[in-house]
Amino acid sequence: MAFQSSVISEKYLRSRKIPSTACSGCGLGQNHKLVIQAIDELGLAVNDIVWGTSIGCAGRQTFATWKGDGFAGTHGRAYAIARGLRIAMPLDKKILLTVGDGDAFGIGLMHLIHAARCNTDMTVIVNDNLGYQSTGGQFGYTTPQGAKTDSSPYGMFEHNLMSDGMDVMHILKGAGATFLARHVAMDGVRAVESIKKAIENPGFSLVHMPYPCPTNFGARELGSRVPVNALRYIMERTAPMGQENENTVWATGIWHDTSGSRPEFAEHIWASVNKIRKTGEL
Amino acid sequence: MKRFLETGNFAIAEGAILAGCRFFGGYPITPATEIAEAMSFRLPQVGGVYLQAEDECAAMHLCIGASLGGMKAMTATSGPGYILYADPYGWAIGCEMPMVVLNSGRVGPVSGITGAPGQGEIYMMRYPTQGGNYEAICLAPNSAQEAMAMVVEAFYLSERFRMPVSVLADQLITDGFEDISVPENEEEMKEMGFRTWPRKHCTGPEFYPFTDELDIPPVQMGKGTGGLCSDWTPTVEGYDIEEVENHHQHAYRLIYKVRNHQDLFNHHYEKKYMDDDPDLVVVSFGTPSRVVNTAVEKARSQGLKVGSLRLITLWPFPDEHFTKSTKYLSVELNWDGQLVREIQRATPKGSDVHFMGTCGDLPTISDLIETFEKVINDQPLERKGWVLEAW
Repeated sequence: MAFQSSVISEKYLRSRKIPSTACSGCGLGQNHKLVIQAIDELGLAVNDIVWGTSIGCAGRQTFATWKGDGFAGTHGRAYAIARGLRIAMPLDKKILLTVGDGDAFGIGLMHLIHAARCNTDMTVIVNDNLGYQSTGGQFGYTTPQGAKTDSSPYGMFEHNLMSDGMDVMHILKGAGATFLARHVAMDGVRAVESIKKAIENPGFSLVHMPYPCPTNFGARELGSRVPVNALRYIMERTAPMGQENENTVWATGIWHDTSGSRPEFAEHIWASVNKIRKTGEL
Repeated sequence: MKRFLETGNFAIAEGAILAGCRFFGGYPITPATEIAEAMSFRLPQVGGVYLQAEDECAAMHLCIGASLGGMKAMTATSGPGYILYADPYGWAIGCEMPMVVLNSGRVGPVSGITGAPGQGEIYMMRYPTQGGNYEAICLAPNSAQEAMAMVVEAFYLSERFRMPVSVLADQLITDGFEDISVPENEEEMKEMGFRTWPRKHCTGPEFYPFTDELDIPPVQMGKGTGGLCSDWTPTVEGYDIEEVENHHQHAYRLIYKVRNHQDLFNHHYEKKYMDDDPDLVVVSFGTPSRVVNTAVEKARSQGLKVGSLRLITLWPFPDEHFTKSTKYLSVELNWDGQLVREIQRATPKGSDVHFMGTCGDLPTISDLIETFEKVINDQPLERKGWVLEAW
């Protein structure tokens, strides 16, 4: 597989928004490219996907990049919008959401859990830049312990969803998600393969994708805005599942896959409604 | 026509279905729960979907999603839920997404008293979200039957204006049992003055024409139109942009599409004994207006020259009823006085504007008549130990 970014970019993305206005050295573009690569390899067309985004670096930079239909919700609410949309739009279309870590694991976590509960057919790509970077760099709920940010000047010491042996994936699995994976921006082909499975799953899929932010995270925690330092920070803390060591924060790979094991939300709702309509009961 | 002895909640649900609503995002809250219950029962019968959300904020976002997909959608709540609509309401205004939102007022602030009527959200209905730069439409019925009619009307207006429209009821309207007539076909709907407007979808490439035009179909997802909509200031194509010029154009549309077409809904009001230049105009809306109307009638029989102005279109505020310099009394279900401020603003200089509040309970006819007399005779208003003459 070769990354034919200019070709697939022309096929799927709007030239007005690509290249994006992301900072130099930002890893978001890599995540974005991996997603587009996966879509292309699945042979999906522009009109097969409705692309939703939200607030922050991940939302703003990816909104309206997709050539087809696109929406951006308010902060943390894209999952609830997508759930309503899934009911109303043709069932053969797919919903793909590119959101940030603050959006998914902070303000939107409850809506995310309920989208997973219903096994709503959507693929959520959580682009995790280790905190709130578009507001200047504050810690989030997956920021590694001890990291210095604008709102953790002594080092992040509040417990979060990735500390003390916790993992946000447990919450989503418990809520009913049918596909969960984690990959960092530098994972290349392995990430593409997981994203393809996520999109193909007729139900709720989430791919957690940490990526380097040299601008704010780099400046505060690493003392430099050199992109390679931010890349290295993530690489040093990443290992494929089964090869973790004491430094590993992000174990990459498919975390949970029960694709197709639960009825999909909208199909289930419509089947139930149609039955009630015809027979007066379930 | 079918007749029922039923609650306002039932009437509201039937009105929504008549208007073509096929999606309801619900969240239980007294005194609007029965609307959600009725919709969960009725919608599947007509091929619609009821979803119960994780909170009111999600409930209205579900409606946004359904409306984006091309369905007519509605949600209903009371004050404590209405505040959680602030987030999606702003989105729906900015992205011009039609839907109907009902608020059944109870006693606040916060949870207050759940099973008693209040009118504490008069300004919140005008400013349902932050940021300004928009006009909001709010209709306020005073009976179960009228609540049904106003829900149908709200759907009509929301489609034509391409925006969320609010209906403000109160606990007595939604919980109270009344004689309700439900039309059974389009002819009967027309006879009852119900107007409907079908959902269409915008094919682009201009999704936000910066004019005050009505009847532009909303952006729709899943139809392959390449439609774009976001919470940011849009270009005409829907791209996000941080330019004051674009914002100015967008704000113009959000404000003036409503201001320039008020003739579509400003006939919703009721006047009684207003033809002979009354010495005192009593202004009210919602359930208290029913007591006010009776009190005004009784006061007339006692020789007091009072008239009643009942507002149904609450927002945009119908300034056209307040051109005369005279005495006004605002009767509201709150103690702080909200509508009265707007009346003070709308009336000409030299007008004498007073306020009479109750909350959780309706004013009595004798209290009202006593207040009419005091205002007419320039005596200070004092009630339950509070000096309200500040108004």
